[in-house]
Amino acid sequence: MTTLIDAPPSDADGILPATRKSAGGGLGQYILVRFLLIFPTIFILVTMVFFLMRITGDPITAAMGGRLPADQLQERIQAAGYDRPILVQYFEYLGQLATGNFGRTLTDNRAVVEMLTTYGSATLELSINALLVALVVGIPLGMVAAHRRDKAPDAVLRVFAILCYATPVFFAGMLLKLTFSVWLGWLPVAGRAKTSSELALTSLQAPTGIYWLDALRSGNMAALADVVAHSVLPAVALGLLTAGIFLRLVRTNVIGTLGRDYVEAGRSRGVSEYRLVTKHAYKPALIPIITVMGLQIAVMLGGAVLTEKTFEWKGLGFQLANYLTARDFVAVQGIVVLLAIIVAMTNFIVDIIAALIDPRVRY
Amino acid sequence: MTKSNKALHGAIALAGISALALTACTGPSGGGGTATEGAGGAITYGTTDKVVTLDPAGSYDGGSFMVMNQIYPFLLNYAPGTADATPDIAESASFTSPTEYTVKLKPDLKFANGNTLDSSDVVFSFNRVKNIDDPNGPASLLSNMEKIEATDPNTVVFTLVAGNDQVFPGVLASNPGPIVDEEVFPADKVLDDDAIVAAKPFAGQYTIDSYKKNELVSFKPNPDYQGLLGKAANDGATLKHYADPNNLKLDVQQGNIDVAGRILTATDVADLESDSNVKVHKGPGGELRYMVFNFDTMPFGTKTPDADPSKALAVRQAIAHLVDRDVIASQVFKNTYTPVYSYVPKEFEGATEPLKSLYGDGSGKPSLDKAKKVLADAGVTSVVDLKLQYTDRYGTSAADEYALVKEQLEKSGLFTVDLKSTEWTTYTKERRADAYPVYQLGWFPDYSDADNYLTPFFIPGNFLGNHYENPAVTDIVKKQLVTTDKAERSELLGQAQEAVAKDLSTLPLLQGAQVMVAGTDVQGVEKTLDPSFKTRLGVMSK
Repeated sequence: MTTLIDAPPSDADGILPATRKSAGGGLGQYILVRFLLIFPTIFILVTMVFFLMRITGDPITAAMGGRLPADQLQERIQAAGYDRPILVQYFEYLGQLATGNFGRTLTDNRAVVEMLTTYGSATLELSINALLVALVVGIPLGMVAAHRRDKAPDAVLRVFAILCYATPVFFAGMLLKLTFSVWLGWLPVAGRAKTSSELALTSLQAPTGIYWLDALRSGNMAALADVVAHSVLPAVALGLLTAGIFLRLVRTNVIGTLGRDYVEAGRSRGVSEYRLVTKHAYKPALIPIITVMGLQIAVMLGGAVLTEKTFEWKGLGFQLANYLTARDFVAVQGIVVLLAIIVAMTNFIVDIIAALIDPRVRY
Repeated sequence: MTKSNKALHGAIALAGISALALTACTGPSGGGGTATEGAGGAITYGTTDKVVTLDPAGSYDGGSFMVMNQIYPFLLNYAPGTADATPDIAESASFTSPTEYTVKLKPDLKFANGNTLDSSDVVFSFNRVKNIDDPNGPASLLSNMEKIEATDPNTVVFTLVAGNDQVFPGVLASNPGPIVDEEVFPADKVLDDDAIVAAKPFAGQYTIDSYKKNELVSFKPNPDYQGLLGKAANDGATLKHYADPNNLKLDVQQGNIDVAGRILTATDVADLESDSNVKVHKGPGGELRYMVFNFDTMPFGTKTPDADPSKALAVRQAIAHLVDRDVIASQVFKNTYTPVYSYVPKEFEGATEPLKSLYGDGSGKPSLDKAKKVLADAGVTSVVDLKLQYTDRYGTSAADEYALVKEQLEKSGLFTVDLKSTEWTTYTKERRADAYPVYQLGWFPDYSDADNYLTPFFIPGNFLGNHYENPAVTDIVKKQLVTTDKAERSELLGQAQEAVAKDLSTLPLLQGAQVMVAGTDVQGVEKTLDPSFKTRLGVMSK
């Protein structure tokens, strides 16, 4: 099916061939299959999380072994039910999850579900911001690199891309913080907003917890400006990680597309190089980005732990680090399972978007 | 470009420009923050201290007590700048006999939820702390309270086990002292923070307007408060919790918060002293940093397989011979903390320095020879495996502090040290569950008296719960508590310290002063850095 792989979307100039209609099952069937695949994916992820967290034994021995007298240690293991067969504990855990019961945190006795909803919105906000940075930085720069292939800007951008995804996110965060907060004083040091903005936003009726959205909903422009200012550095620190990958991907795809027959045909008909890149080559180059975006969500959530800790962005990553230090096994498991579900759901959504944009993926 | 594409590009450009403009509007976080934050005279106080619980029965730590001091009323309290407990919501309070302390409440007191505050609530509050006796609660401070009774709606009588208790007024102003609403709090268990905030059982200087645990607490002045502290000097206050002291430092430096309280690192404080945008305020000392030995689980402890009290004592003494406090103070704390060889800081009457002469070279420096000898004499022939725990509660410097302790002990060749850290809320529970054989703690006094460094630590049922018990020590500690003659009491305090130093239930290492850093436009900080050791938001303004 070479012609299909080569075929880009149609365009107004009429230099691109029209995309063929799907010959296989319809979109509905595709969505259904993808949707049903979520459940085994989540099941496998939950199972892996459960068993990986028990790989070194029960959490109480892991935390207290050698510190508590043996009888007290055993007493606590029994009280928590960790002395039962691992499979019994596993099925009991699955049963609880099925009813939406993630248990209560060991450190502050909060319902894990409540903790997840409280802090999940902060992480969602950071992830959206970071994704925006990745797209805004990665895609245009990838196109520039492709357009100026093998010239100085291309070389610089390729090095930039490597730096972006090779630099540890906490290191990038610290550098950004030092430069823009400590030395230049342009942007806030940490947190999601100033205390006054935070108080205003949290006192709203039914807040979403996504501060910029709450600020917009309430028409509080001062708070919105403050929230945006606080978002810049964490979003850039986290977003650059993915921007580097997007940049490389767009560059490669655009270069590949620029060598195709239909582009050559356009070139021979006098269409400018700039127009070929910006109008005809970038659309097919973006399709793989959608797919990669799904995979990058997992990378981004991993990076969010370090970013949130660096910038005291009190989301799931920040809490995860705290609960890990506090050895709150129940809370950690709850957060990791939620992140696994988010990754599975995101991939599902990305698959659907990819199928809508490019019908070829349904084959 | 097609019309739709033009529109799309225009929208993207507009969004980009708007985002930049919004960012630019915010401007440098340095200047702008303060002006907006300060509008209306509210102040923002930042800290890395954590709240364990807002329920007075369930916590005995500085982070929780700081919040309680703003929202709950006390029978007795300290006027800013003083260390003598005087009536707060009480009209009068005095000994009516050696074993009876009578308190009369002011009339028409009420909680912010509209409930009446009378003697019944007072009786409920103190009985509750004692009955719940939470492992992390302050019940140990009420050990001398036999019972409490309401004689009329405005009067309560405390009956004491030992008469003429010299510190009982101070106890009423300390951790077990907040008066809570009996219609809100259960009598037999600790209440969840969110439930407390929702029910508004506040009758202190402030009420809580909004609460995000260990993130943000907003306080509003309580118009119905009739106590000693009077009207707050500000229109409201916000408490912001930080995880990283570095962020706390930068935020006070840039004016995003008005005051930074506990706990900045020593290097941060030193750095801030040369910053003209802020002022470093220092108050009287009183903070102790010390190691605790769990007599059950420490090497050769009573519940270990090779239990041997004399060997366990030798291990404690060897550690005392080996630690070099000067090095820790200078290297880790840049001398913002000073070595301490006493159980009671020298500012307090009756303080002595028994640890200096008993251990090390006699002048405060370590002695390897003495450490070797004490272990050999006790028959400890192999290297001692020590499990040592510390926490983030006492600042990030604790990691360096205990790394140095580990290094000093291991360098002797007498110990191998397994050093681990735990987050505070877990730490505070686990240490009481005997999970740590040897561990770090710090002490910020509850009231300004030498006894506050003895009774909570060394009598049965003490706050440490480290299974230390010495009837001779208990007797002296209890005797000094009821001795009215100052010279005689001072002598007894010295005896108690000498006896504890020989047993080494704990090993004090360093002593520190209270430090707060505030913007230059903030007034009143020095009023809260007094010998009462209470952080009061109500005295600060700008």
